[in-house]
Amino acid sequence: MTLWDLTQGTSAKVSRFKSSIESGYRTRLSELGFHPGEQIACVMSPGMGAPKLYRVNNTVYSLDDSIASLIEVA
Amino acid sequence: MSSNPDSKIALVGSPNSGKSLLFNRLTGLNQKVANFPGITVDIASGQSVDASADSSSVQYLDFPGVYSLQAISGEEKIAIQGFINALEENLLDAVVCVVDSTRLEKGLIFALQVLETCHKYNVPVLIAANMIDVLDQHSMQFKDQGLSEALSVKVLPISAKTGTGLNELRNALADASVPPAKFQTDIIASDESINHLHAQQLAQKYGPKGELLINTQTRLDSFFLHSWLGGLSFFIIMYLLFQSIFTWAAPVMDAVEAMIQWLASVVVPVIPAGVASDFTSDALFGGIGAFLVFVPQIFVLTLVIGILEDSGYLARAAVICHKPLRFFGLTGKSFIPMLSGVACAIPGIYAARTVDSTRKRWLTYLAIPLMPCSARLPVYSLIISAFIPAQKAMGGLLGWQGLAMFAIYLFGILCALLVTALVSRSSEELRTDLPFVLEMPPYRLPSWRPLITHGLHRSQQFVTKAGKVIFAVTVIIWILGYFPNYGASLGDSWLGTMGQWIEPVFAPFGLDWRYGVAILSSFLAREVFVGTLGTMFGIDGAGENFTSLAQQIQESGLPLGAGAALLVFFAIALQCVSTLAVLQRETGSWRLPAQLFISYSIFAYAAALGMFHLVEFLV
Repeated sequence: MTLWDLTQGTSAKVSRFKSSIESGYRTRLSELGFHPGEQIACVMSPGMGAPKLYRVNNTVYSLDDSIASLIEVA
Repeated sequence: MSSNPDSKIALVGSPNSGKSLLFNRLTGLNQKVANFPGITVDIASGQSVDASADSSSVQYLDFPGVYSLQAISGEEKIAIQGFINALEENLLDAVVCVVDSTRLEKGLIFALQVLETCHKYNVPVLIAANMIDVLDQHSMQFKDQGLSEALSVKVLPISAKTGTGLNELRNALADASVPPAKFQTDIIASDESINHLHAQQLAQKYGPKGELLINTQTRLDSFFLHSWLGGLSFFIIMYLLFQSIFTWAAPVMDAVEAMIQWLASVVVPVIPAGVASDFTSDALFGGIGAFLVFVPQIFVLTLVIGILEDSGYLARAAVICHKPLRFFGLTGKSFIPMLSGVACAIPGIYAARTVDSTRKRWLTYLAIPLMPCSARLPVYSLIISAFIPAQKAMGGLLGWQGLAMFAIYLFGILCALLVTALVSRSSEELRTDLPFVLEMPPYRLPSWRPLITHGLHRSQQFVTKAGKVIFAVTVIIWILGYFPNYGASLGDSWLGTMGQWIEPVFAPFGLDWRYGVAILSSFLAREVFVGTLGTMFGIDGAGENFTSLAQQIQESGLPLGAGAALLVFFAIALQCVSTLAVLQRETGSWRLPAQLFISYSIFAYAAALGMFHLVEFLV
């Protein structure tokens, strides 16, 4: 299951990044708080393919499917 | 740090850490604080406003907000390089690293990188833990002493919003001599993941416990990002933006116009009849006056975009626009540069640095010059006022002029999207998508003072920068139009003779030579069109009462099709020397500006011709 599969109001822990993720983005996501073991909540899923909103610690980020589907959660 | 007379203090921090607000507090300089990640592209500087005499010469430098010292976007590369260069060249006496204490872990990941870098260059550093007022509100604890000991640097709890801790910060700066040797061994590890682990551990040990409630933000997001309510509110907000340009600015514009007319009626009769009197009446009041009338609209436009930025709505608009913009080959991040382009293409081009993909940034560059910038506003406004009655519809809710303005703005935006959609489909490389990651800043009420100051500053820039060109062009046009027959007949003047040569170029869409001359002069800057036309109508109508330029156009019998063609021409053509120069600087070559200038000129001409025939056919 990936972060993109999380529905609004649910949360999960990051397990790993898929190997196809570019290293620059992997580092940046880690710096923003999306690192293995971190609890991420999907706070908003606007639908129609729009980027979803994820809450990490006290910050909300918007990620689209191209990146959220590269983060595996459990 | 000693209190040397030229102390330079750098402020660094992540986007939304409150760094720019702190900078405003420390300097009293109303640098604009934007509530959108990475909006500060240039490095702002300001002198300290501290009352104590010995620190009055401290200069603060506000570096653009970055998430990391490892760049992934062009804008970050520029910002980080600026900081590293300042350290390398020994320009900084101290560095203040601003972190958001409510989101300590994220701030510390960046702070640890800053400490490591400052250690390398032997520059003192201290950490300003901002937003302490929010922690106080929620009765949350932040162990600044413990963190300070763990990092061996001063950590000062502050609130840029309320001013708490700012005196302590200034005092700490005055004698900051940071022993950075310890960072390398105890805290900093070169491995990024260990860096994260340290930040996490430090945040858990010394940072506030528990989650901060951001229910208001979630509630507002569930409205503004709702699948259809979000889209609807987006359109309403954009529509209000364009209506406000007309409705809010109208009374001030009328007042400016009345003032210019009154001033002309007082000044002109005092000057003895002859060349000087004609020059004052035609060139000064006719040409420059016609252009000054539009300054209130520039102010309102800047103000409204500023409100959207500050409130945090722009980041939501980027989310809403991401999917549709992807269809046109762009990304949600292109929205901010494109909307900035509505004010002026130049900040729009700078803002395009936030688009991390080089290819998408290039496509954004194609779109920006087609966005309806404020320099087009005087031209649109003039043509619309000449053809569309100032009547209201739907019980005064909608103004026809505002609606026409909305339509022509929409036309420019659609042209921009059409171009990017076509170009992005021309190659596989341009079609490729890059990830979209954007921080959602908290919603907040805009701070009016900096917004108004920014609006006034932009209006002043508009007057001084464009004003110089307009004045020069106006004087040249007036001389050419006045001599050799001393204003007796514009058609027989030097300008008239030259105008006849170019008349065939613009005649196919119903414009006489005067408009041809005005269009040619507007290739320097679009606003020049209004001044040039004002000067020529001034010479032509010498001795008559002062009437507005729109009224004079109305009376000149310009066909409706020609008016519509003019609007379309101005919506597309790239008549702005500054935009071309900035594009050259950003892309490092004249290739793109030259290609855009030529192709958009041809596109504009063809579209204007098409529009003229369409309107003539329909009416």
